[in-house]
Amino acid sequence: MTVAAGIGYALIALGPSLSIFVSVISKKPFLILTVLSSTLLWLMSLIALSGIWRGFLPLKTTSWWPYAILILSSIAFQEVLRLLFWKIYKRLEDTLDAFADRVAKPHLFLTDKMLIALAGGLGHGVAHAVFFCISVLTPAFGPATYFVDQCSKVPFFLLSALIALAFVTIHTFSMVIAFNGYAEGNKVDEYFVPIVHVVAGVLTLINLAPGGCTVGIPLLYIVAILTLFHCGRMVWRRLLTENRISLNHS
Amino acid sequence: MDSNAMAQLQRPSTETPTLLDSLGEEIIRIVAPVSICMFLVVILVSILNTGDSSFSVSSIATIAYTETTSDSSWDKFLGALLNSLAFVVVVTVATFVLVLLFYFRCTGFLKIYMGFSAFVVLGFLGGEVFIFLIQHFSTPIDCFTFLLLLCNFAVVGVMAVFMSKMAIIVTQSYLVVIGILVAYWFTMLPEWTTWAMLVAMALYDLAAVLLPIGPLRLLVELAISRDEEIPALVYEARPVNVENLDPRVAVAQRRLWRERRVTENSNLRGDANVNVSNNNALGLGANAELNPGSDSNSNNPSSAGEDAILDSNLGSSTSYGIYSDRNLVRAEEGRVQETNSEITTPLIGHGVNVRIHSRAENVDASDENLMLEGIGLASSGAIKLGLGDFIFYSVLVGRAAMYDFMTVYACYLAIIAGLGITLMLLAFYQKALPALPVSVALGVLFYFLTRLLLEVFVVQCSMNLLMF
Repeated sequence: MTVAAGIGYALIALGPSLSIFVSVISKKPFLILTVLSSTLLWLMSLIALSGIWRGFLPLKTTSWWPYAILILSSIAFQEVLRLLFWKIYKRLEDTLDAFADRVAKPHLFLTDKMLIALAGGLGHGVAHAVFFCISVLTPAFGPATYFVDQCSKVPFFLLSALIALAFVTIHTFSMVIAFNGYAEGNKVDEYFVPIVHVVAGVLTLINLAPGGCTVGIPLLYIVAILTLFHCGRMVWRRLLTENRISLNHS
Repeated sequence: MDSNAMAQLQRPSTETPTLLDSLGEEIIRIVAPVSICMFLVVILVSILNTGDSSFSVSSIATIAYTETTSDSSWDKFLGALLNSLAFVVVVTVATFVLVLLFYFRCTGFLKIYMGFSAFVVLGFLGGEVFIFLIQHFSTPIDCFTFLLLLCNFAVVGVMAVFMSKMAIIVTQSYLVVIGILVAYWFTMLPEWTTWAMLVAMALYDLAAVLLPIGPLRLLVELAISRDEEIPALVYEARPVNVENLDPRVAVAQRRLWRERRVTENSNLRGDANVNVSNNNALGLGANAELNPGSDSNSNNPSSAGEDAILDSNLGSSTSYGIYSDRNLVRAEEGRVQETNSEITTPLIGHGVNVRIHSRAENVDASDENLMLEGIGLASSGAIKLGLGDFIFYSVLVGRAAMYDFMTVYACYLAIIAGLGITLMLLAFYQKALPALPVSVALGVLFYFLTRLLLEVFVVQCSMNLLMF
């Protein structure tokens, strides 16, 4: 529906990540590199998944369970990848600390580590939005629009942009929670992230039912807001305890 | 407790600049213009190429075979191979001619030819692209105004690329514009020919830089042995500033590669553009020479002007105009500044001389040329990337844009990853490296993977509003 609508949909999906990028990430070049590499990693995982599933696609069934298997397997793959990402990050952190010693700069602060986790999560979220929403958005720049059967009241592009926005939030902040959980050994945080991911993915299955999107999308947003709050609470607690420790020592 | 805690929460990040603030800055300074070039080519392609692919370009690259849509796949494949072979042969011959001319010290002729090429690209190719845009958007403009603006644009461009007295942002923008124009023209080639040509150029680049008989390597070695510079079109990122570090300390920490001596003209006091820790980490030493005396008026004898030897990491970078001009145009000069300490380090490997030109006002240095093709390091430690690399990356992404935007994003990420890998290899090996092969290989791989595998998967999921 014209260029304005196309840009509007793109901004709905990517607007908050753009503001995070401009305000926080663009100031530090290393974070930009982190965003790019985590985007690349997510893309590679997506290509691997599509390679595995290519033989079965396009699925012509109307039942929901092949899709459920698709989603569950993909989410499992991506969570394993997140663990891998964490291992790589641990090694990188040691290298960076050693390098900081060499150039007489302080080691990475807690805020730095959280920023790296945020950049990693943002990379995942942006990759999701770009590949699931923006890349199918090209027809929206033309003169017409498109509706899907299951949700025939709202243009398809708007729906995918809204879902993408929820997922961007979930991906971005669950990476922070996950890294923190792995660092602290906090079991709650460690399991929170994969569970939330699975729940979010399964919620989108509701969209298969006719009229399901009126239920599915608000529930998805509830999950996203839950992730956001949990992350905020965890970060706040972490920073306070860290500060209290440093205050006690000084 | 809370307000106290809050106040102290702010402290760590604002007090001392941590590692995160400066690490990786030079990489971003090269990735940003490459991204801008690719982005603008994609926009240009998607605006101007809606529908009509009947416009065929006849050039050297289609000399062997003109692809038509009615041929079979095997014919197209063979034709594309022949075309790309012809193209690589022409490029090799032209590079050897360049080496020969350089050997016989015809640098004046080379420079004039390079200036002429830049003018042709900006004036004629640019003019055609502007005319297409005017036709597409139906802008009301008369031909006299257009001609005037175009002439000015081209002349300023030639001056910006050759003379060092312009603001660096103007020079960088003009180089990116030249890259965009040439890349756009290359995307007009037939599809199979484009892909075959990209792969062929990546292989040629690998051979020309790394093999002992490769023309680019010969060129570099000639330049080193003679202490001269090669005329070439090279994009140099702005050197990184390091604040709150005493220049002398900074310099002492730098790992120098090879240098002779840097002379400064009398009122030279550039900013201390020193690449420090970041470069150290990535092994990109800043290469500058430091004079121990702190007086800025030290005049070193020996050639007015300068030499610092740079590590010549030659890369591919020969950019070719579609009419087979070799745009090995003279590059911009180094914006490098001096420092004030003196170091001599043992000569390591190959190096290339670079004239350092200061940005101070009264400089009477002759115009500087940097030579450097492909990926290398300037004397300030800033990374240089040949314009040919810009062009071929953008051609890849532009061709991906002609299929669909999903391939554009995938190829963009692949190319940036390849560029990052090449930069890391550069830091590791510290010698001339071709910038094309890794990125083109990854780009082509991701293009075909996306087109064959990913698209079906994603479209199927999206259409059903299933996401994860």
